[in-house]
Amino acid sequence: MQIQHNDLIDWLPNDLGGVSAGKFERLDHPLEPWEKRCHALADVLDFHKIISTEEKRRGVEALGSEDIGKLSYYQRWAVCFANLLFAKQLLTPEELALKMLEVSERFGPGASG
Amino acid sequence: MSDHHDSAASGHVDTEGSGDYLPGYYEIMERSITELLIEKKLIGADEIRRQLELHDSRNPALGARVVARAWVDPNFRARLLANGRKACEELGITSYEDTELIVLENTSKVHNLIVCTLCSCYPRAVLGLPPDWYKLKPYRARAVKEPRAILAEFGTHIPEDVEIRVSDATAQVRYLVLPRRPEGTEHLSEEQLAALVTRDSMIGVIAVDPPDLHRGG
Repeated sequence: MQIQHNDLIDWLPNDLGGVSAGKFERLDHPLEPWEKRCHALADVLDFHKIISTEEKRRGVEALGSEDIGKLSYYQRWAVCFANLLFAKQLLTPEELALKMLEVSERFGPGASG
Repeated sequence: MSDHHDSAASGHVDTEGSGDYLPGYYEIMERSITELLIEKKLIGADEIRRQLELHDSRNPALGARVVARAWVDPNFRARLLANGRKACEELGITSYEDTELIVLENTSKVHNLIVCTLCSCYPRAVLGLPPDWYKLKPYRARAVKEPRAILAEFGTHIPEDVEIRVSDATAQVRYLVLPRRPEGTEHLSEEQLAALVTRDSMIGVIAVDPPDLHRGG
């Protein structure tokens, strides 16, 4: 079977201009407090030149279409921050795992840590 | 804890303040990243709170003030179209990010629409944070390909002889649409004009309605 050129070179999962898409709906929701904090964190990381807006965009892209499809908008940002901070050696996965355990224990049993 | 923002100043009802609130996995991740960055002194302890307050101060009323001023003051309009960021600063609206603001004027011949096909770049300094539909696939994918169909879904029908220009924002370059001033508004004050201007009209998905179509207008 002949391999088509465009089977090999595909668009990045978040580069959506012109691709076929479903019905448009005028969806909106008030942001949850943690979503607002996540956005504020993105700005603060950008101000400090720790993670720029463009790096964040590429970081979300790098999650791949499967994770992008599964995660909500700000969930993607949180995972992308973690990945980029590991890559920049500003945090280690162990530090984050321990801190997440500590934070979830503050909320008592049942918090999804 | 420093990253709580359930202060009276922010005006939010914070459900996290209640005893039985259980955060999800990604919220715990967000809280943990912030705490670690503060512990490592990579960011300041109160910076998130200050940024939340800044976000709360940005909303489409700011963009509406800019539009109304441009309608009543041709010199301001010229400066706004030449350099959006500088002209907004004249009204005390600063860009808190290192971004350019390009203002696109709707005319009888051109209708502008803004989108971000790559992510969700938006003129946050003058409109606040974008609505969900602006961030979701259908709008981002289709706005550049079939803008008339997208506009029709907002009930906006642009005559065939009017060119539709779609501008795709980036992390560095943000767009704001300067909608057309509706007819029959010659007698209105700048403040009354600003009250007519909606968020969606500054994204370019709807026109600004004349005052008789506004409830109580």
